Amino acid sequence: MSATIPPRRRALEQLVGFAPVLIFAGMLVHIGIQAPGFVSLLTLGLVLEQSLPVVLVCIGMSIVVMAGGEDVVAGGIDLSIPATTVLAAGILAQWLAADGGFVMACLLALGAALLVGATNAALVAWIGLTPLLASLAMFGAVVGVNNMVTASRRINVDHPIILWLRDAEIAGIAVGILCVAAFGLAAYHLLHRTRFGLHLQAGGGSVEAAEMVGLSARRHLAIAFLLAALTGFIAGFFVLARGSGSSPGVEDNLMLEMVLATYLGAAFSPRRVVTLWGAVLGALLVGAITIGFKSMGVNVFWLGLIKGALILTVVAFAALAKRGRA
Amino acid sequence: MTEAALSLQEIVKTFPGVRALDSASLTLQPSEIHGLVGENGAGKSTIIKVLAGIYTPDSGQLRIAGQHIHPITPASVHDAGIRFIHQELHLVPHFTVAEAIFMGQELAGPFGLRKGQMRHRAEEFLHDRLGVTIHGNRLVRDLGTAERKLVQIARALIDGQAKVVVFDEPTAPLASAEVKTLMDAIFRLKQQEITILYVSHYLNEIMGICDRVTVFRNGRNVAVFDDVDDALGPKMISAMVGRDLDDIYPARTRSFAETVMTLDKLTGPGFEDVSLSLRKGEILGVAGLIGSGREELVDTLYGLARAKGGTLHLHGKRARIRTPSDAIAQGVVLVPRDRRNDGLVLPMTVGENITLATLDEDATFGVENRAHARTRAARKVSELDIRPANTGAIVRFLSGGNQQKVVLARWLARDADIFVLDEPTVGVDIGARAEIYSVVNRLAQDGAGVLVSSSDPGELIGLCDRILVMLRGRVVAELDPARQSMDDLIALSTGATNAPQGQEVPV
Amino acid sequence: MKNAYVLAGVVASVAFATPALADDHLTLEGRTIGVAVVGTQHFWDREAFNGAVDTVEALGGTVRAVDGGRDNQVHADNHDILRAAGVDAVISILGDGAVEPKFEALRAADIPVFTVDHPSPHSINNTTSDNYYMGTTIGRLMADALEGEGKVAVFNAFENALRICAIRTQLWKYVLQDYPGIEILEPELAEEFANAPEDARRQTLDLLSQYPEGELDAIHVGCWDQPAIGVVQALEETGRDDDVIVTALDAGPDTLEIMAEEGSPFVANVAQQPRLIGTISAQNVARHFAGETLLSQTYVDVMPVDGRDGAIETYGELGYGSLE
Repeated sequence: MSATIPPRRRALEQLVGFAPVLIFAGMLVHIGIQAPGFVSLLTLGLVLEQSLPVVLVCIGMSIVVMAGGEDVVAGGIDLSIPATTVLAAGILAQWLAADGGFVMACLLALGAALLVGATNAALVAWIGLTPLLASLAMFGAVVGVNNMVTASRRINVDHPIILWLRDAEIAGIAVGILCVAAFGLAAYHLLHRTRFGLHLQAGGGSVEAAEMVGLSARRHLAIAFLLAALTGFIAGFFVLARGSGSSPGVEDNLMLEMVLATYLGAAFSPRRVVTLWGAVLGALLVGAITIGFKSMGVNVFWLGLIKGALILTVVAFAALAKRGRA
Repeated sequence: MTEAALSLQEIVKTFPGVRALDSASLTLQPSEIHGLVGENGAGKSTIIKVLAGIYTPDSGQLRIAGQHIHPITPASVHDAGIRFIHQELHLVPHFTVAEAIFMGQELAGPFGLRKGQMRHRAEEFLHDRLGVTIHGNRLVRDLGTAERKLVQIARALIDGQAKVVVFDEPTAPLASAEVKTLMDAIFRLKQQEITILYVSHYLNEIMGICDRVTVFRNGRNVAVFDDVDDALGPKMISAMVGRDLDDIYPARTRSFAETVMTLDKLTGPGFEDVSLSLRKGEILGVAGLIGSGREELVDTLYGLARAKGGTLHLHGKRARIRTPSDAIAQGVVLVPRDRRNDGLVLPMTVGENITLATLDEDATFGVENRAHARTRAARKVSELDIRPANTGAIVRFLSGGNQQKVVLARWLARDADIFVLDEPTVGVDIGARAEIYSVVNRLAQDGAGVLVSSSDPGELIGLCDRILVMLRGRVVAELDPARQSMDDLIALSTGATNAPQGQEVPV
Repeated sequence: MKNAYVLAGVVASVAFATPALADDHLTLEGRTIGVAVVGTQHFWDREAFNGAVDTVEALGGTVRAVDGGRDNQVHADNHDILRAAGVDAVISILGDGAVEPKFEALRAADIPVFTVDHPSPHSINNTTSDNYYMGTTIGRLMADALEGEGKVAVFNAFENALRICAIRTQLWKYVLQDYPGIEILEPELAEEFANAPEDARRQTLDLLSQYPEGELDAIHVGCWDQPAIGVVQALEETGRDDDVIVTALDAGPDTLEIMAEEGSPFVANVAQQPRLIGTISAQNVARHFAGETLLSQTYVDVMPVDGRDGAIETYGELGYGSLE
């Protein structure tokens, strides 16, 4: 009975799905006019470099959304990734500052990150807590642990590997960008080009459909939380490199941008769902907007308001687009 | 005689207190389309679940092409070439057709998924084996229901190992125009030497497509018909019903007054152009299978779904119902089918549940007059013989029948003159059913108009003054229970017979 | 008025470094100066920022301002934006180690960097209060208030991250070495950078329940005084404001007002002149473009604030109004 949808409604749905992209494009054009010099290669490089941690956590977040579904409350969402990132950065910084050796520092940070991921997986996939609440609580707890680890202090890091990530270039392109691009490609392959990736997405699209063909949606969701924690861990290195050490308070901004970018990314996908590439593009767009507004001299508090309003707009349009489809 | 493609022999399956399958047998010949029919509770779904390996039978055996399958597990029947097309369309909405068809059995090489190959093979399969052309890159959510059903079928058969395919109510979600597409595809499968078990409530489809039909009743096979001809409909129905009307219905001594509710060509999600009128003192039945639009119609009357066209008049005035509170405010009361979820607050007491709907009346400036409310609740408990006769009992621990009486008591405590009862006796034992019927009868005698929507033909024939029959979203007949029987009702609602002349459109 | 104020405030070191002190020679005409500040919520930050911005504009320059919103990482990243915008010079106010590589990048792009309260090898000039004097003074004032004896808890989150804080805290400790009766409690406390008063209030409440009356005599905030607002609140809430004294550094109007209250536990502070610091930093930029050689550090006078009377007096002297 729902076989035929009038073409005009179909067009309207398309427009609703595209609306966030149109809003962002409009903003970029506005910035380009208002802030001369914004459209330049230098700014582009800047956007890429400053967005690296956000891009990484967005990759993690999109994996969880793909595995758990797009319902913002009950579907897949992992707000704890930015906290995992600062915890990994904190542990690395603390250990490196104490001359504890790079490999050991990595192992400790990785262990801590995976512990966070495993706890999320257990809380959501096995105990059945609402992901939004579970991961938000986890965010608070992990930030608390990080404050203990770092005693809420800034820790400078001048380890050569971190400095290399920050400063080195290959063929004129920052190695940080290259590393994240390589990781992004690998993650894309895993999520969108392998059987595992499709199975993971199946659970997010319809638990029943997945279970019907013998796939465990819960198991894939648990793995997604672990993968997200892994991306959080990797993002930790880039937070360290970007800040030349660990400063307290990085997680809040990271979380805001992660949520905005991931759901914004859905507008880029032809299927109008959260995808890895969409999330990455979303992160870059958010970075461009942030830098653009600052270049225009917009007050930092206004920027917070604008980002908050954008999140609401994007999520509202996502909900509208979904309602149009149902 | 050739060896049977599939035979289930003398299957017994008991659940605590219920003998769901009582030595039931079912035999499918190679390359035939075999129909399986029976009323709700006859054991159809139980035997399908036994065949799928979901239920382990207490005794009996399964043979596939002569091979004894033991134990019967989802894996062993799958390996033997049995495939199930479940009633529910469980597909991932944002997957492409190719991805949905290959879900769980994707083609992959050393460099990842072979997307092009999957798309190609999916399209080829849909075209060659099911006779439809669907682009492999279209998204499932953009497909029509029939196309989704075909994708679901392709998903089950793409590995080419299928020998027997079980269709469980495949046409329930389809509009009548879409049914043919599916029938054609199933017919094609038969030509490819696949054996088909076709389970459906729609007897017209059974007669249209099946080679042979097995009828289940009370947990066993009561008849097998080898010849599909015009006489099959009545024969199937009498085999299915095989019982007389229970003697639990109140006598029809009601008198009708003015019309309280009129629907004129009401159209909503799942139903079209429904016209009806309900008078004071009348019990009007609505019959129809799952997918007939009956449930959606009831939801719309109560504001749980939105009408898209047509008009509704209440007490002679044009009315709009957008939310349940609109409905209540205009004197329409719904007793929902899923009372555990929609009708009752389970952790609260009987008394609290009864007074929930009358809170406004028992309250002064929003403060509940507890003593008043308690007295009112206690009176209802004794009037309706709710057991235990204690307003402090927690509703969760009451039996189904008593829970239903609590729901009724709540609305009886209110002045409403239009009652919509949706499946009022599902899960209720026979004693409590009789009491519920007498309450419903009293409602009508006291001057209310009552609309009863039910899947139980006996209940409708026994209780109602008139019955409207819905089929695939439309009212196809009006029936007079005083003159027509349960068989007639089943024949009309399953599509086994067309509506008699002159009764097509009720006025 | 402003010029007189500036002239009165500039200390000798500037005068020696700049033979041509006549400010009317200075100009920033046709130049765009980036001003990056870590945040503008707190009086100190805002005043230094406004001082710098107003002076750049007064000297005919164009300001491009970025605000880190009290997030050190954002503040550091903001320098990249100034670099991309192609400003002629950058005045960077406060910030932690995260800005150093950004300074390097600015220098590599031939953009001179001037800092406020942030000594850095990449900075042409750092304009700052006399932190050495601040550290020792607050040490002596506290020791006097404690009469040479007592247990002291210290908020010290930034000793390792910010050079100015290291100077202030370490010199404070240096002075206390000569008072064997004063004991610094371990572990030291770490205040939050953003939302400091509320965070410090919570931490102080915990501290007070850990150290009952008689076991804690003073709480010191090592590098600034925003947390001291929360510390005083916590003491008043628990009625411990009689037996625990509070000392801190910066003495903006908000904390001076608290010190000026009758019976306030907040007894010693050292006042800075943040607006003047910003002003001088902007003037130093102009001096640089005028071809003058700047010393790497410009020190601006500070004023010890001793007790309630001292607070009332300083409040008037710094032009914040009158507390009497």
